[in-house]
Amino acid sequence: MKKTNNNIFKNLMAVIGILLVSVSCNNWIDHDLNIDPDSPADVPMSLLLPAIQQSMGYNLVGNNTVRTNNIWMQHFDGTDRQSYTETRYQLTPADVNNVWSSIYTEMMMNSTIIINKARIEGAASPNFEGVGQVLLATSLGITTDLFGSIPYTEAFKGSENVLSPSYDSQESIYNTIFSLLDKALANLDNSANTIAVEGDVIYDGDLNKWKKAANSIKARHHLQLSGVNGNAAYTAALAAVSGGFTSNADDMLVPFEDKNRNPIYQFMEERTDIRMGATLIDMLAANDDPRLPFYAEEDSDGNFSGSTPGGQNDGASKPGSDIAAFDASTKLMTYSELKFIEAEARLALGQPGAQEAYEAAVAASVLRVTGAANQAWLDANINGIPVTLENIITQKYIDGVATNQPYADWRRTGFPALNIAEGAVIPNIPTRFPYAQSELDYNSENVPSVSISDKLWWDQ
Amino acid sequence: MKTNLNGILTLFLALVVQLAFAQQRTISGTVTDQDGLPLPGVNILVKGTALGTQTDFDGNYSILGSTGQVLLFTYIGQKNVTRTIGTSNIIDIQMTEDAQALEEVVVTAVGITRSEKGLGYNVQTVDAEAISTKPNADVVNSLSGATSGVQIVNSSGEAGASTFITIRGSASITGNNQPLFVVNGLPIASGGGSSGTGGVNTSSRSIDINPDDIASVSVLKGGAATALYGVRAANGAIIITTKSGKNLNAKKIEVHSSMGIDVISQVPGRQKKYSQGSGGTWSGGNAASWGAPIAELEYDGDSSYKWDPNGRLVPKGTGNGMPAKAYDVYDFFQHGTVSNNSVSISNGNEQGDYFFSLSNRDQEGIVPNNKYGRTTVRLNANTNISDNIKFGADMAYTNSRAVQIQKGSNVSGIMLGLLRTATTFDNSAGYEFADGSQRNYRNGGGYDNPYWIANNIRFDEDVNRFTGGINLNVKFTDHLSLTYNTGIDWYNRRYVDQFKINSRGNPRGYLGEYMNFNSVFNSDLLLNYRNDITDNLDISLTIGNNYYSTNSKFLFGDATGLEIPDFYQLNNTSANTTSTGTSRSRTMAIFADLQLSYDDMIYLGLTGRNDWATTMPENNNSAFYPSASLGFVFTEIDGLKNNSILSFGKLRASAATTANIAPAYQTTNNFVSAGTADGWTDGVEFPYAGQTGFAVSSGLGNPDLKHETQDSWEVGADLRFLNSRLGVDFTYFNNNNTDLLMDVPIAASSGFTSVFLNAASMESKGIEISLNATPIKTKDFQWDFVANYTEFSNIVTKLADGVDNIFLGGFTTPQVRAVVGEEYRSIFGEDWYRDENGNVIINDDPTDNFRDGYPMTNTSQGLVPIGNFNPDWTANMTNTLTYKNLSLSFLIDVKSGGVMYNGTAFAMNFFGVHERTENREVYYTADGSIDFDRTPKENIVVMDGVYGHIDSDGNVVSNGTKNVTPVVQDQAWFQGNGSNFGGGPSSAAMEPADWVRLRDLTVAYNFKKLSPLIKDAQIYFSGRNLWIDTPYTGIDPETNLGGATNAQGMDYFNSPGTRSYTMGLKFTF
Repeated sequence: MKKTNNNIFKNLMAVIGILLVSVSCNNWIDHDLNIDPDSPADVPMSLLLPAIQQSMGYNLVGNNTVRTNNIWMQHFDGTDRQSYTETRYQLTPADVNNVWSSIYTEMMMNSTIIINKARIEGAASPNFEGVGQVLLATSLGITTDLFGSIPYTEAFKGSENVLSPSYDSQESIYNTIFSLLDKALANLDNSANTIAVEGDVIYDGDLNKWKKAANSIKARHHLQLSGVNGNAAYTAALAAVSGGFTSNADDMLVPFEDKNRNPIYQFMEERTDIRMGATLIDMLAANDDPRLPFYAEEDSDGNFSGSTPGGQNDGASKPGSDIAAFDASTKLMTYSELKFIEAEARLALGQPGAQEAYEAAVAASVLRVTGAANQAWLDANINGIPVTLENIITQKYIDGVATNQPYADWRRTGFPALNIAEGAVIPNIPTRFPYAQSELDYNSENVPSVSISDKLWWDQ
Repeated sequence: MKTNLNGILTLFLALVVQLAFAQQRTISGTVTDQDGLPLPGVNILVKGTALGTQTDFDGNYSILGSTGQVLLFTYIGQKNVTRTIGTSNIIDIQMTEDAQALEEVVVTAVGITRSEKGLGYNVQTVDAEAISTKPNADVVNSLSGATSGVQIVNSSGEAGASTFITIRGSASITGNNQPLFVVNGLPIASGGGSSGTGGVNTSSRSIDINPDDIASVSVLKGGAATALYGVRAANGAIIITTKSGKNLNAKKIEVHSSMGIDVISQVPGRQKKYSQGSGGTWSGGNAASWGAPIAELEYDGDSSYKWDPNGRLVPKGTGNGMPAKAYDVYDFFQHGTVSNNSVSISNGNEQGDYFFSLSNRDQEGIVPNNKYGRTTVRLNANTNISDNIKFGADMAYTNSRAVQIQKGSNVSGIMLGLLRTATTFDNSAGYEFADGSQRNYRNGGGYDNPYWIANNIRFDEDVNRFTGGINLNVKFTDHLSLTYNTGIDWYNRRYVDQFKINSRGNPRGYLGEYMNFNSVFNSDLLLNYRNDITDNLDISLTIGNNYYSTNSKFLFGDATGLEIPDFYQLNNTSANTTSTGTSRSRTMAIFADLQLSYDDMIYLGLTGRNDWATTMPENNNSAFYPSASLGFVFTEIDGLKNNSILSFGKLRASAATTANIAPAYQTTNNFVSAGTADGWTDGVEFPYAGQTGFAVSSGLGNPDLKHETQDSWEVGADLRFLNSRLGVDFTYFNNNNTDLLMDVPIAASSGFTSVFLNAASMESKGIEISLNATPIKTKDFQWDFVANYTEFSNIVTKLADGVDNIFLGGFTTPQVRAVVGEEYRSIFGEDWYRDENGNVIINDDPTDNFRDGYPMTNTSQGLVPIGNFNPDWTANMTNTLTYKNLSLSFLIDVKSGGVMYNGTAFAMNFFGVHERTENREVYYTADGSIDFDRTPKENIVVMDGVYGHIDSDGNVVSNGTKNVTPVVQDQAWFQGNGSNFGGGPSSAAMEPADWVRLRDLTVAYNFKKLSPLIKDAQIYFSGRNLWIDTPYTGIDPETNLGGATNAQGMDYFNSPGTRSYTMGLKFTF
């Protein structure tokens, strides 16, 4: 027995010895195990591009920013819960955290990665760089029109350990936008391109349309400086218009589909707290506007009605198919907007063609929204009626539902005149968004102190 | 070898063969203790045979034996007694207490058993009795109130709900704070069951353990106790030992059956006087209940109005005469039922032992269709291959299955749809129309009808789990031995998440299919040396090696927009998405444990462990963790020895450095599959528009990570008086956690939202006092008393530079945060405008937009600290009264201090359904002011605060005069600052969450020898949460919205807690 045990000991020790040696530290502590097999270290530009575009369509011109300022502009009325809070002009830094973070980490960060990747020597792809620059400029433009000064020069440099970026003035951001768009136009014209633009859900790699988009965005922001630059702004805008969109087919739209549904559609499905605003609906109804049934659903009585600002009328019409169908595209920039820009610039400069541009803008809008020309209605209500700034901005206001532009135009021009919402907690419609709570918390040394009643640089 | 095989054969034969013995007679007698009181459960063995028995509850026994054979009487804490059978058939025994009785053996880290007498740190043990009669599915809930220093929060009363446990506070900011669970030496996967603010409440994986299998649970609290677990030691450890057949010497069959019912405990009150609608007018489909008085309404009987079978509500006299009424929404809940059956068979002798068990639990929750079920099988077997070699294996299989129902902040959440339901809407009058669309109080919009949810949305979870290990013990000499213990914990977790078409959350239907395989491998090799160096000095040295690896992989697919209704298949959609995730890690360690004891008086322990980990950067993957502990039994000093008053006294002190490591994949920055959401909606993902999309991960990796460090120390005293009839144990502990790893949030404008850094520090310190006493002990009656008191603070001392708070969970407001200088998990939210003395400002400026006489929400200062769920102190007392065969045991649990966000009530205010909105009747005079003569007195209130207003610069202007302006709490108030949706501050919804509760009560009756077959039988009744006294006005405040997460203290339409009644039977054959 004793002897047997000794043999067992020996065998055991041998087995354990082999076990320990075979699984020695170096083999066991294999650092390759710490490489995530589900997360690539690098991806091609064509896979980054649709992600940027999706985020822009969903967040920049989707529900978050647009719902809030369209409530303020009375296109919508927040009838319940948080949307009712927004109706009463309450918008806190925490409320804009999500959109701020989407803009910087999803849209602008990945656009910057594309721009940098496209410059890699040996495989330089200026066309791709140009597309990245147009997207970055478009994002910067809408962002600065809501927030004023924003980080750019030191932004997107977290991986270089710049964790608290300084803020660039709105004037400087505007210069950046124009310069990015100029570079984009040059890059899009460059025929020495290595990697073709693929993965593009907006223009499917059509460089010509990207050039038009670059010019159109440029026109938008030159016009926005009308109060700062006066006639120079109009002149610059007109110059850009000439290279811009030439029909609705050029519209810079972000598509939605069955699987990935329109943001307002999703909001109405999951939250339901907004209804069409009485200001817009009354305006449309008064003119028997053909866009009405596309902008609004029938209300519970089978009519089209809006909730007055702060009126909490949840029996009013819900947003219609043009705004809130599950597959309704969201609009980064449209041909109709460009024609309104042209009309305003020509009118301001006293140049001919303002009337034509105005009529073309409304016609483009009606066609885009309704799918039909509605010529008779245009002839009766728009065509030939002498163009004024108020007419232009009012029609632009109707055209611009579910975009950020009416809010930008209202601050710039004061049109249309809006009443203060019932139950408002401040005496005026906010003139800017607050900075995100995450900036107040984690970039406190740089973020300017603002109130939502402050006016932006171009709005002084 | 042949002998050994025979031994094994014999052992297994013993399973099925009852051996008969001839030529024997029955010996009987009574066994008593040194006070002459009967001792039940004394083991009696006929030496040299497998024949044995136990004394019954009166200390009586009988056994077959023949003259000359030797009877061995053994009982824990008593000296062994042997008697040779002579001529008498009666052998009465009086046992005496063993001086070594205090040397209760406890299981410590890495399975090393150690005499409790010499421990230099606090370990508490919970035995099987305290667990098996409690009705909880998850054994962790049965530890509630059983020890000091342990905090347990059961997230809700749903069947299979998660449970959150921490020991001595938290050690990590955003990482795991729950202890390591070890079963029979194998560290197992535990935790889980956390969720967001919506979704379902899934189980914590500790639920997979059959409570009836547990012999004892050791709670290792401090660093010195857990130091040998190295990188897994920072949160304490729960060491579970399952039952075995060791030394039974007779076959033992135990059967345990219980049946129970659960009923909802407290729920928020709802007003019953006013109908659905707004502005005093009934309006069908309206979100709120600010309509006309119910007493003034009747139905119109219009059958074309599809939302109510009785038609619309119209003013009295204009309808069909059928009066309106308020429905009781709580009728929705049902009585939950629990049935639990387990059977075990065990035996053991010198050649080996086994324990085999089967159990099944089936539970239906208080919410219809919420279910939890568990089936377990366990076999523990050991064989002594020779005197020197012991080999054993244990294996357990568990199937855990649950059907969970949507909860919380979720348009398909049960309580959300239920509690918001308008007073005059009857959810139970149908939830679905013939066309499949939904009937709910919002006339199809808003939130799901709770009946719809319970019947049409399900989350089926199924876990199949196998844990098993083998252990080998080889004794080379009396001094030197080797132990090898290795095991695996494998489980496969699947769930199917189904939303029927027309649910509000997923109107076009939804299916999610998830599969996860999770494995843990552990190997411990220990070489032990024990020797008495001199008469006074004993040494014990263990050196060891540990390998540990984890591997987890999931595959998830979902389909939104089902084409064929009610057909839940991933291809039943125009588009579906899939994703996978992997997490792998390994650690290796070598360790040593040196224990010295001098004269049974001074015990010194030193341990050291070095860990290497794959999740750390390659050049920084090693760390060393030492500990030292000292136990000084001063009652061994000559002058104090054998003192009749102070029978035992020990002072102890220990210190240790332990740690946590980074989770996998934090050292680099990668790209991830893209997708986005806006905080309001489900959002969008990829594939999208026929494209694949990636984006750079918003969390920055870090190649310079270090191990987290926990430096801890504790001192304590263990004093026992009057022959241990009274004992007091006191511990002071201090845990200092530094270099804590966390995703440090950074400004999104950097392009990233977080970076993973060793950034934070946190301190946890406090006291634990345990008291145990046996105030009365007579032949028939005994009263035992055990109490625990815990008080500690858990302060965040440092976060990353430039970061003053970390989001742990919750909402935009309020949210749970870690903030420097504040208690960990402070709740932050908006507050009222206040003056510099903290008084609420009551508006006195008739020209501004704020209502006069009411407070105003300060939206400009952002979020401020508004409370914390952590208690100031907790205490629990267990009294056990035994009279003859009857015993009564009850546990009173006290939590003092701590607040919770009652978001449920705050939202119910907005909807005009909370009972506090009932006093709303108000009359106005011609000039628009309140008519105090006609308005009922109880409806007029004066808001607490001082007069003031906000000037144009946003500053508070107040002269500090106390507000006396009477106002009414009307719809405008509750849909304004009196509720969350109206813009009221979260601070107004914080409520004290203290409690005193009768957590457990058990009455048991033990039957003496029912029949020759049945040795023991017990019938018991047990109740849980039979009585709760709390100032909290919502559901039972032992709840948490996010389940088992670091973010505690949130109640937003949480599912209610339960009161349980259980009746059980136990038989021992």
